[in-house]
Amino acid sequence: MILQILVNGILLGGFYALIGVGFSLVWGVTNIINLAHGAIALLGSYITYYMFQNLHIDPFITLPVSFIVLYIFGYLVQRYLMNMVVKAQIFMLLILTFGMEIFLVNFMTTFFSADFRSVTPDYAGKSIEIAGVVVPYIRLAVFAICMIVTAIMGFFLEKTWTGKAIRATSLDLEAAMMTGISPRKIYSITFALGSALAGLSGSLLSLTQAFSPNIAGGLTLRAFIVAILGGLGRVEGAFLGGLLLGVIETVSSFYIGESYKNAIAFGLMVFMLIVKPSGLLGRKYYAEVKH
Amino acid sequence: MKRLMLTIFLALTIISGAYADDKIVFGAALSLTGKLAKEGNLVKDGYELWKEVVNKKGGINVGGKKYLVDIKYYDDESDPNRGAKLVEKLITEDKIKLILGPYGSESVFATSAITEKYGALMVQGGAAADKLYTRGFKNLFGIYTVATEYMDDILEMLKDKNPKPSTVAIVYSNDLFSTQVAQGAKSAAQKYGYNVVLFQDYPKGTQDLSTVIAQIKGKNPDIIIGCGHFQDTIVIVKQCKDYKVNPKALAFSVGPTLPDFVDSLKGDSENVFGSAQWTKSLKYKDPVFGSNTEFVKMFKAKYKEDPNYHSAGGAAAAVIFQRAIEKAGTFTDIAKIREALSNFNEETLFGKIKFDSTGKVVGKGMAVIQILNGTQVTVYPEAVAEGKMVYPKPAWK
Repeated sequence: MILQILVNGILLGGFYALIGVGFSLVWGVTNIINLAHGAIALLGSYITYYMFQNLHIDPFITLPVSFIVLYIFGYLVQRYLMNMVVKAQIFMLLILTFGMEIFLVNFMTTFFSADFRSVTPDYAGKSIEIAGVVVPYIRLAVFAICMIVTAIMGFFLEKTWTGKAIRATSLDLEAAMMTGISPRKIYSITFALGSALAGLSGSLLSLTQAFSPNIAGGLTLRAFIVAILGGLGRVEGAFLGGLLLGVIETVSSFYIGESYKNAIAFGLMVFMLIVKPSGLLGRKYYAEVKH
Repeated sequence: MKRLMLTIFLALTIISGAYADDKIVFGAALSLTGKLAKEGNLVKDGYELWKEVVNKKGGINVGGKKYLVDIKYYDDESDPNRGAKLVEKLITEDKIKLILGPYGSESVFATSAITEKYGALMVQGGAAADKLYTRGFKNLFGIYTVATEYMDDILEMLKDKNPKPSTVAIVYSNDLFSTQVAQGAKSAAQKYGYNVVLFQDYPKGTQDLSTVIAQIKGKNPDIIIGCGHFQDTIVIVKQCKDYKVNPKALAFSVGPTLPDFVDSLKGDSENVFGSAQWTKSLKYKDPVFGSNTEFVKMFKAKYKEDPNYHSAGGAAAAVIFQRAIEKAGTFTDIAKIREALSNFNEETLFGKIKFDSTGKVVGKGMAVIQILNGTQVTVYPEAVAEGKMVYPKPAWK
């Protein structure tokens, strides 16, 4: 039984990692705590839902669509909205993203209705059993995609020019500008990537559970915990934070009680903020308050 | 000039006074926007259809004279506190003392405190929490079977089926409503001689229930009862299949009755049981619409879609209010209308309605539906069953 619980936790953790990674990246690089992250993820869920429901396109094939659409969405939002106030106090940014959350949630409620939706392809619910441990295929696929995407993100940030520029901007804004990096552009790309990753996680979410515009806040909260646990701006950090959160949720719900799992997850976040505010893999400079 | 204005003012007063005299005006503060917008609007659809049908017949008959009906609406934006303020406005500014209930236990809880305070009356077909009726209120009447009796009929229905189920696992969301449903289900299960092997709560709005499902699997129960909300119901069905949990019956308090259930789960929704306040196929007579079947037909003609229990509850609450006014022979004497409601005993589209001294409906019972071939089929009470139930549930494909 405990093995099953652990496997469940790791599979769930993969999803948390993906929703956390974009959030953490945006926070770490641009210093924006994007309270609309969950709402943006849900846009991805709806893209998958409508493509599956109306065009009968396999939900996994819709992933690149949600990635691209939300990349563009994120780019435009940062370019024409966030960049206007990015130099203002952090409080202004919070208000702006909070406003965006409210706008998006109401937008979705108006146009997609407040009904709960879920995507259930024919192969949903199929699973393999290894030594008494059941592993559902869809969750395994979600987990694998999260791993791959996170690895690609890590590679992108380490090896490509744009990735290096993003890291440079997050480490030292002024030095980065001196070498010819345009922070406006980098901020836009980072936010676009964050949104695209949120969209991906939203698309995958539609496969494993029911969603409506009103769960946006809950998703943002998960992303928040993952980012704090793992350390801001670091892909590996979000990955570790996600897995940790998944395992902690399932194990604590088994040993202590399902109803306490939120309390434990938040307790852990507070504990982390006290003992190591930079997160498990956080380092100096990452997410230092710049204003 | 002054005189002219005075004349206009007086004229307006007289006109509006005359207007008020020829019409009986009801008030309702509903959630027309916000997270309960969908349910709020469905209840409103029920009220509107009732209004249309009654007015077509010439109105409500009070002491031999017929009065047309009007309803004044406000939007509480899904906020119970705002709802309470709006009901206060309805009573004090608009001078309306006949209040049709909002949707949702929290909203009814908050707004009925206002109607009670001002001696106005509320009949509601939109909330099922037991706590509404434990405050000693005299002016609130509700037609939803209360939470603690939600799963009673389903457990009674299954108790003598073959192969006989003996163990029940109950899982529930830890909000007030679901907890009450679960506690009611537990005592009903014990009453009917089942062995409750698991009684487990989980947090509201949870995104993963794999641990709970693993616990259920460990107990291998004959019946799984889920008391939660649409979102968790979907997760439970999906994860039961994921983890190959195969009970003889899978039943939920909320979820299967909503059309989105089949849309969301497709084939996996097959054979799942749900508890229903009301279904389209119930064969009750109704004093206004003629019968439940007629109500469904009229609703479809007006809104181009099938009614669900939200709209039926709204329409039935209004029908009951109307019948009480007709019996009392007055629409201004609240005490007399209240007495008519207390002694109410009539068949309506919602079922046979009687109220106990706290104002809650008694003996109405719940219908049971099962998803068969992608549609909701009423399988209980047997007298009005549309189809034969599938039991035991076949294993997941």
